[in-house]
Amino acid sequence: MSFFKRVGALTCAFVAGSLLATPATTAWAEALTFTDIAGREVTLPEMPDKIILGEGRMMYGIAPLIEGNPFEKIVGWKSDLVQYDPDAFRKYEGAFPEDTARMIDFGNPYAGDFSIEAVLEAETDLVILDVGNLFKAEETGLIEKLGNAGVQVAFIDFRRNATENAVPSMLILGRIFGEERRAAEFIDFYIAQMRKVTNIVDTIPAEDRPLVVVENAAGWQTDFCCWSFGPYNYGRFVELAGGKNYASTLANAYSVDLNLEGIIEADPDVVFGTGANWKEARPEVTSTLLGYDGDPEVNSERLAALAARPGFADLRAVKDGRFHSIYHQFYNSPYHFIAIQVLAKWLHPEDFEDLDPEATFQELHDRFLPYETSGQFWITLNK
Amino acid sequence: MSDRTLVSGDAMALVRAYKLRNLRRILLVCLAFVLLAGLVVIDITTGPADLSIWRTIQVILDRSIATPKEDVIIWQLRLPVALMAIAVGAMLGVAGAEMQTILNNPLADPFTLGLSSAAGFGAALAIVLGWSVIPAVGGLFVSVNAFVFAMLTSCALFLFTRLRGVTPEAMILVGIAMLFTFNALLAFLQYGASEIQLAQLIFWQLGSLARATWGKVGICFAILLLMLPWFMSRSWALTALRMGEDKAAALGVNVGLLRITVLAGVSLLAAVAVSFVGAIAFVGLVGPHIARMIVGEDQRGFLPLSALCGALIISGTSIASKAITPGIVYPIGMITSLIGIPFFILLILGQRKRHWQ
Repeated sequence: MSFFKRVGALTCAFVAGSLLATPATTAWAEALTFTDIAGREVTLPEMPDKIILGEGRMMYGIAPLIEGNPFEKIVGWKSDLVQYDPDAFRKYEGAFPEDTARMIDFGNPYAGDFSIEAVLEAETDLVILDVGNLFKAEETGLIEKLGNAGVQVAFIDFRRNATENAVPSMLILGRIFGEERRAAEFIDFYIAQMRKVTNIVDTIPAEDRPLVVVENAAGWQTDFCCWSFGPYNYGRFVELAGGKNYASTLANAYSVDLNLEGIIEADPDVVFGTGANWKEARPEVTSTLLGYDGDPEVNSERLAALAARPGFADLRAVKDGRFHSIYHQFYNSPYHFIAIQVLAKWLHPEDFEDLDPEATFQELHDRFLPYETSGQFWITLNK
Repeated sequence: MSDRTLVSGDAMALVRAYKLRNLRRILLVCLAFVLLAGLVVIDITTGPADLSIWRTIQVILDRSIATPKEDVIIWQLRLPVALMAIAVGAMLGVAGAEMQTILNNPLADPFTLGLSSAAGFGAALAIVLGWSVIPAVGGLFVSVNAFVFAMLTSCALFLFTRLRGVTPEAMILVGIAMLFTFNALLAFLQYGASEIQLAQLIFWQLGSLARATWGKVGICFAILLLMLPWFMSRSWALTALRMGEDKAAALGVNVGLLRITVLAGVSLLAAVAVSFVGAIAFVGLVGPHIARMIVGEDQRGFLPLSALCGALIISGTSIASKAITPGIVYPIGMITSLIGIPFFILLILGQRKRHWQ
């Protein structure tokens, strides 16, 4: 049975059931119905208070919504936050040590499945998954099996179509956690910060948009260049910040493997890579270690080493000092407006002279996050 | 002394035919060599950057006239890749040819014995767990892990054959056991891999020339220069082996010893090739078959032509992988088969006699 048919059938069954049940129930008023990012209608009999996160990094989206303890309704998560953004994890750990300790660890988010028994054992109401896991969750019957046990599944997305889905995903999270007002506040903030860039970029003619090469996880593989993004994620961020994304001109794919010779020939105006604190999990990486524990001196040395790789040293962008690095995890978080502001300043320094992404980042933490900012999140090559 | 008195017309014809066959063999090998040289030139002169053929050749002949950009593109990006392509192709071709010979099995190739799965597992250990078998090898540790595991597998194979005797059946069956063991272990690691690690793993498994450096090219050619003459010196014994184990033994070949030593050489060739460029399965299997169809079983022609066929296939792949979308790297493992198979099918259709006996 196709997915839509199944949803259709479920919906019909539900409508029929609810018509019969309506007169008897009083809890009906508390029920929660919404449409998730996969276009599925999700209905919960009452507000969920035991939630499992399909990715630990969903906390980036949940933390701004809750003024008190954002972990209050969360019982478990997958281990990606701990493993791939240890800096941010330590921030949460510092603020809510007991909660991070009691989180049930469901393992690797990319494996895409759950121990259904463990989910049921935790008396879960709702599992929130990344939309990238939709296919797998359908194939393995995860949605159906959990549904039979009364556990609902909802999909959100901050990665695949990050800029398109961030606002609806925040709205959905706002409804799930009963924090619609905070969600609206965050979305106002998000829109205001995005418009600071896009309003000006709209006036920049196509021929003035610099050619940009994005290197995804620069230095993760020490002997290969380069992974890049097509017109998605960081590739899309470049376009929104007023640049032409080189990999988008080659392929309409989420991920594109670039040939270094092609980059040299394209002679990009700006080159930037992404980096995060991967050194704890993989000591050999040569990436920049951006994040809450980022040390400017260390990162500056690491960026210089990346710029000195064969083939990179002679790039015009490197010689002109238009070689940068930015925090990788903006790619999977509603905070990507920070990245877009930083990119805008890199691509059009004069047009965005007054834009201050540092201040935006500070304001994000002051108004929405349960911990103080620290560390380093972007860096430019010293000439 | 009696053959001297028997030099009659018949015998003269036989000698002439033998000389003619030798000449034909040498001509075919030379032809393949010229073809390969042509492909290498095309490989070096094509790429996303628009450099003329003439200018490219000038820069290769005299590096000092190159602009920094030309120097990087030709000397650091294109030449190592083009040379790596022929080195790896030749290594896999030779490894496949000798594997088929000693195991007396047309479906044998370096990967039949689980060498590539072992290498893949070693690489995955490095990529997913960041675990290095030999400490302090730095960024090379993916290659080093792959190499160590491939060699360990052939050592295990040695030990087993020591226990159970060096029959082809035993070797193939143990090899298959290895293959499945490492595939299962690999799947375990894949299951636990992150998005980035998975991308790296899949890219590694599909094979890529993009990591070629002069150092790796040097190692590959050094090993080829070591192994090829040695195999050539044993070519009469290997040819005899293809006539059947008993006949070879009757001709004075120590079959068991020959199998073991050749297996060691093949393991080294395949392990180095796989650890540098990832798993490229098709070449080691089909390269030798193409060579056999063209030149026959005599190792003096079969061995060099297998090397050249392997090199031709990977060199052609390297050109094709650049031509699909300039600027994007396609893993060569995806393309090798597509390049080699049309030619292979043509040869099969054109065969009048059975080429495997």
